[in-house]
Amino acid sequence: MLIQVLNGIAYGGLLYLLAVGLVLIFGLREIVNFAHGALFMLGSYIGFSIAAVFNFWLGLAGSLVAMTVIGIFLDAAVLRPLRKHDHMVTVLVTFGILLVLEAFATAVWGKSFRSMSAPDLLSGTVQIAGEPFPVYRLFVIGVSLCVAAGLTAWLRFSRVGLYVRASSVDPTTTAILGVDTDRLSLIVVGLGTGLAGLSGVVAAPLMALSPTMGNYILIESFIVVVVGGLGSFSGALAAALLIGQIHNFGAIYLPWASTMLPFLLMVGVLIWRPTGFAGKRT
Amino acid sequence: MTTALEGRNLSRAFGGFRALDDVDIAVESGEIRGLIGPNGAGKSTLIDVLSGRAENWSGQIRLNGEDITRLKVQDRRHRGLARSFQRTNIFPAIAIGTQLTVASRALGETGLSDVVEALTLGHLLDRRADEVSYGDQRRLDLALALVGRPQVLLLDEPAAGLTVEESLKLAEILRDLVRRWGLTVLIVEHDMEVIFSICDRITVLHLGKILAEGDPGEIRRHPSVVSAYLGSQA
Amino acid sequence: MSIGESQLGGVGVRMAQQRYSWIFGLAALALVLGIAAPHLIASLLWMSLLTQAVVDMMLATSVGILVRQNGRISFGQAAFFGLGAYTFGVIAAREIASPELALLAGLVLPTVVAFLLGLVIARIPGVAHAMLTLAVGQALYEVAFKWRALANGDDGMSVRMPDTIFGIDSDVFQSPATMLVICWSLLVLMLLALSLMARSPFGQLTEVIRENDERARFIGYGTTLPRAIIYGVSAFIAATAGILQTLYDGYISPQMLHWSASGMAMIMAIVGGPRILWGPALGAFVLFFFKDIAGDATEYWPALVGGTLIAVTLFLPEGFAGLIIRLTSRAVRRIKGERP
Ligand SMILES: Nc1ncnc2c1ncn2[C@@H]1O[C@H](COP(=O)(O)OP(=O)(O)OP(=O)(O)O)[C@@H](O)[C@H]1O
Ligand SMILES: [Mg+2]
Repeated sequence: MLIQVLNGIAYGGLLYLLAVGLVLIFGLREIVNFAHGALFMLGSYIGFSIAAVFNFWLGLAGSLVAMTVIGIFLDAAVLRPLRKHDHMVTVLVTFGILLVLEAFATAVWGKSFRSMSAPDLLSGTVQIAGEPFPVYRLFVIGVSLCVAAGLTAWLRFSRVGLYVRASSVDPTTTAILGVDTDRLSLIVVGLGTGLAGLSGVVAAPLMALSPTMGNYILIESFIVVVVGGLGSFSGALAAALLIGQIHNFGAIYLPWASTMLPFLLMVGVLIWRPTGFAGKRT
Repeated sequence: MTTALEGRNLSRAFGGFRALDDVDIAVESGEIRGLIGPNGAGKSTLIDVLSGRAENWSGQIRLNGEDITRLKVQDRRHRGLARSFQRTNIFPAIAIGTQLTVASRALGETGLSDVVEALTLGHLLDRRADEVSYGDQRRLDLALALVGRPQVLLLDEPAAGLTVEESLKLAEILRDLVRRWGLTVLIVEHDMEVIFSICDRITVLHLGKILAEGDPGEIRRHPSVVSAYLGSQA
Repeated sequence: MSIGESQLGGVGVRMAQQRYSWIFGLAALALVLGIAAPHLIASLLWMSLLTQAVVDMMLATSVGILVRQNGRISFGQAAFFGLGAYTFGVIAAREIASPELALLAGLVLPTVVAFLLGLVIARIPGVAHAMLTLAVGQALYEVAFKWRALANGDDGMSVRMPDTIFGIDSDVFQSPATMLVICWSLLVLMLLALSLMARSPFGQLTEVIRENDERARFIGYGTTLPRAIIYGVSAFIAATAGILQTLYDGYISPQMLHWSASGMAMIMAIVGGPRILWGPALGAFVLFFFKDIAGDATEYWPALVGGTLIAVTLFLPEGFAGLIIRLTSRAVRRIKGERP
């Protein structure tokens, strides 16, 4: 039982890493980023390639850095020029980016599944409540907790964090008050994309690498973002943990409906409150 | 005289702040009632509550004696209650003629050409609403409220943002239409010249409460109104 | 613009009539062209490709109509495409009812579901709407994917066609030469009906609601029902496309409902220009033929689609259809000898 809960937390933690990037980008640019799953996938492959030559840890760091740079480029080259467009059109453009990235990954790494193993330090299991539990999953939980703590501190105590929070409540007013939202957006989209890269590498030992590996988890992290309330950071954490548990226990007790449950939850939440549990904006 | 529109115990709060605090208002049929008060007094909030736009409010509203408290916006409109907006609220990418036609289809053709003529929109019917000047858009906003010849008209600063010349012209058009159609009007306006020239009675709102009510002469002399709002304008 | 008409008297009416005859003329021309197509196109492969393209055009039109008349972006339109296909396919293949009834059910069920859903979600705008349609679509996808007893789950199911449907030999639906004509004719008729609807009082009302839902209520309209009707119309078109594809391929699979198919349809609509009635169909046509241009490298077709989308949003905000209209009106002006 406890093992199952931990499994759910590990998956929820991964979802959180992705979802929080979506929340960051939504807060500043008011778009849901369909390319986020593909960025996760790209981060995975970059980590995989670096790890093949050096080691897992360099792969992790390298992917984080590379994806942050890609995120900054993405904001400057695509999202900023489109900021005056209808947000929904920009959302579709991110879908276009997803298609381009998938084709890119197919060209570079091929269609066949790749796998990446956990570093020696984190392989093996530990005994928890008398049952074996993979060390690597504890690592996943640890990483997401660290990110959650770091992000919360950053949002609460730094000046930039204050601006980000203000902007995700009301971007227009924040811009009027003289905050340079374009620069802020570079930081935020860079950070969000970097986190997608980080979670890609963290997830890599748990799943098979393929150009479409990001699609399913993208939709689940959409669910997290929506259920948590568009633009809400704490809501995303709570929702990620909830969806993680649903994902896990659903697979055990309601296998025929487990993949559908999160969607039904999302439909219910949106109809009941279009802004989600904690959100204020649509 | 009968009461056309009556609101009782109207309250609306934003968080802890009471934008409208237990307001009673009764507008007689055929009357032009002015609603004045400083910025943030709750004038638009009152119009929103009466017209059905507001959420989370309390009180009762009667239109010609019928309880319309729970009626939806469109049902109020079909019973003859129409409004215009302080912030222009039109259909941007639609031809002006089309918008007015669609409006008249819901409410009956009565007075459509009168409205178009009175508000001098005739030459703009083929133009998209977002392509015409601000003054034209304000007149369109008003026209959308007037189509179908409502009985009671709630006007929220119809002259906001217009030049002095334009707003005097608008006041004249309004006075003329109201007389011809026998409309009942509740009008919010910051331009005191317009208010004192067209209103039969005036209600003064201050911090969500009614400060005073009376004919223009009384309001002009009312000591607390003078100090709270009119100041040197009077 | 009936004010204009009443004020201008007969002139306005005559202009309107001219406009209608123009539309009917164009539709007739398109129908003739479609009937002639099998005689003009020699290659069977091309005809087959074109048939597939026309089905895509129909799906793109269905999602375009949602943008055009409701102002809503959907990431779940493929669900109605798939729901039509599955309803028809499963009933026909399992011989639960006659193929005619199966076809009818395949049209009615998605339409009714979309209408009822529309009553609930019509008021939800923007990103929340996109997410909601995505979730509804994926929930249906999961049903098709997981429920093996229904249609073999993720393997999909081949649908053996009955000998005749509505007295028509079912070979007619499986041969490219005849199916192309059928699909194309239906598409033309649908576009004709949609353009008549857009000009009708109901069409004008939905555009007014799209522009400003609140003010529409203040001029005396309930806005939920008209929106829900548009959802129904749009799902009807998507379901037709789904049934046609099932008739032609004799195969249904969960991929028909997947959100990436919905997203693709949405992209086709945007690239073509959803503000213009035939824009989405044009977008689908163009993107489909990129597939042919991509040639051997079909797996890179999505990248080409994505790239086109990015380029079009940046440089052609009105889409390909907007570009064509701009160019033709300039040409017409030049021919008439006016200065541009
Ligand atoms: N949506 C809202 N949320 C919070 N407070 C609001 C909201 N709308 C209005 N208020 C507050 O309620 C009060 C009354 O606002 P209202 O718009 O009714 O004023 P008004 O008399 O129309 O002012 P003005 O002359 O500027 O139009 C103001 O203090 C305003 O700040
Ligand atoms: Mg006001």
